[in-house]
Amino acid sequence: MPNIVSAGENSILIYFGDKIDASLPKNIANFANQLKNEMGGVVINLIPSYNSLHVSYDLNVIDYQDFVNQVEQCLKQNQNTASALESKTIRIPVYYGLEVGLDLERLLQEKNLDLDAFINVHSSKEYLVYAIGFSPVFAFLGEVDERIQLPRLNTPRIKIPAGSVGIAESQTAIYPSDSSGGWNIVGRTPIDLSLNNLENIDKFNVGNQVKFDPISRDEYLSSGGKL
Amino acid sequence: MSFKVVKSGFLTTVQDYGRLSHGKHGMSQSGVMDEHAYCWGNHLLNNHFNDATVEITFGGVELETQIDTFIAVTGADLNFKINNRPVQMWHGIRVSKGDVLSWGNPKKGIRAYLAVKGGFNTSVLFDSRSVNLRENIGNKLCDGDQLPCVGHDEEVYQFIPPKYIPNYSQDITLRLLPSYQFNEFSINQRDLFFNQTYTITNANDRTGCRLSGAPIVIKKERMISEGISYGSVEIATDGLPIILLKDAPSIGGYPKIGTVFSLDLAKLAQRQPNSKLRFELMSIRDAQKERKKFNDFFEIGF
Repeated sequence: MPNIVSAGENSILIYFGDKIDASLPKNIANFANQLKNEMGGVVINLIPSYNSLHVSYDLNVIDYQDFVNQVEQCLKQNQNTASALESKTIRIPVYYGLEVGLDLERLLQEKNLDLDAFINVHSSKEYLVYAIGFSPVFAFLGEVDERIQLPRLNTPRIKIPAGSVGIAESQTAIYPSDSSGGWNIVGRTPIDLSLNNLENIDKFNVGNQVKFDPISRDEYLSSGGKL
Repeated sequence: MSFKVVKSGFLTTVQDYGRLSHGKHGMSQSGVMDEHAYCWGNHLLNNHFNDATVEITFGGVELETQIDTFIAVTGADLNFKINNRPVQMWHGIRVSKGDVLSWGNPKKGIRAYLAVKGGFNTSVLFDSRSVNLRENIGNKLCDGDQLPCVGHDEEVYQFIPPKYIPNYSQDITLRLLPSYQFNEFSINQRDLFFNQTYTITNANDRTGCRLSGAPIVIKKERMISEGISYGSVEIATDGLPIILLKDAPSIGGYPKIGTVFSLDLAKLAQRQPNSKLRFELMSIRDAQKERKKFNDFFEIGF
């Protein structure tokens, strides 16, 4: 049974496990939907992340203990029903080029790989969305093959261009808009993931799969990619 | 029909009650930093609790009224004047086309709120008018901007009982609800946390407030990132607390010793760097009771 702790005057955290586990995000996303359906009148906000679900509720209508009791009831039902979340794979075209992959050359050297081998390792896998955070539309994807894992930069960059694809330890992610950050940049997508396009808000959801499709420099440029 | 921004000041943004239901999209809660002053502003004008206001940080702002309507200014004393004459705050006031509203330097507190009858009608993004600069949602006010609103002639001259006007110069005690990893901190660590006086540093903005003091030695530096509540108190790698506020990222990976009661965060929002503060424990029962009373009074509902 998941463990529930208080997260303040109107919030709780539900822990579904105590470590990062690929089986958890879909279950957590599923349970978040269930809570919204069954307790939509009192649930205000839901933040799924790796092994936990943060839930804010309306303290005007329900107190802490009653809320926890009701959530526990939902959790019992959840364990009886198999997870039904539809699998969805989002495909992201990426140009893995040295002009846009700011850390690519160093990574290849340190890992003793040639560019094609690296592209193959990074793009052949379907990644799982473990969490959305840091900023909107920023999806934490895992798990990166050990052969291409690198720690974060000691000094974060002030500006990473929108669309940059980065690696930090076992995680990979796309920066949806220009931002600072310490991930190792290995490529860039030409597609706009920023909130300039309001529909991007729902681009990634916890429990989705993401697949990177390598594209050539020409394809990148003709799709609107910038160097 | 609007207010024209003549001088936009250091940091002036439109804020409402917040963007409360987009955590799954990685969005911050956003919204006003001082809920007490904000709620009084709207209340004095018989507004809806979620009506958008202008949050003025440190002053330096000048607005030209282009309609006849009613306003209320609450929060920090930033030397508020109309047509160069000092005007009472925490009070419904009639303003007319051509009036110039100005805020100078902070005398007491940091953030003032300008509420207008009916609220400001700037664009709604993801169910809120709150600007979040960290997330590139909306912009801070710039010289020449227009702040749209609808004119009103309903007379609202209400004012608040003086005892509810806070003194922003007093040292504060923040009441902390034991939550998150509270039980993973040892008795000695907790004693050090609750028995010292912390100082607010310059790293104090809408995202969070970093404190200085005697560091707590912690074993577990990073943990798996999890959802952040408004007012969560992270203990960073250096052993010092960071209180996470309205624009904080939705998830974070530092251990948290607890969560500050929301109405005490309203007081924190008005404290200058170098102010002193302490923490004391509060039960969830007391917190919910006090917050519910506040919500009932200001008709805050979802």
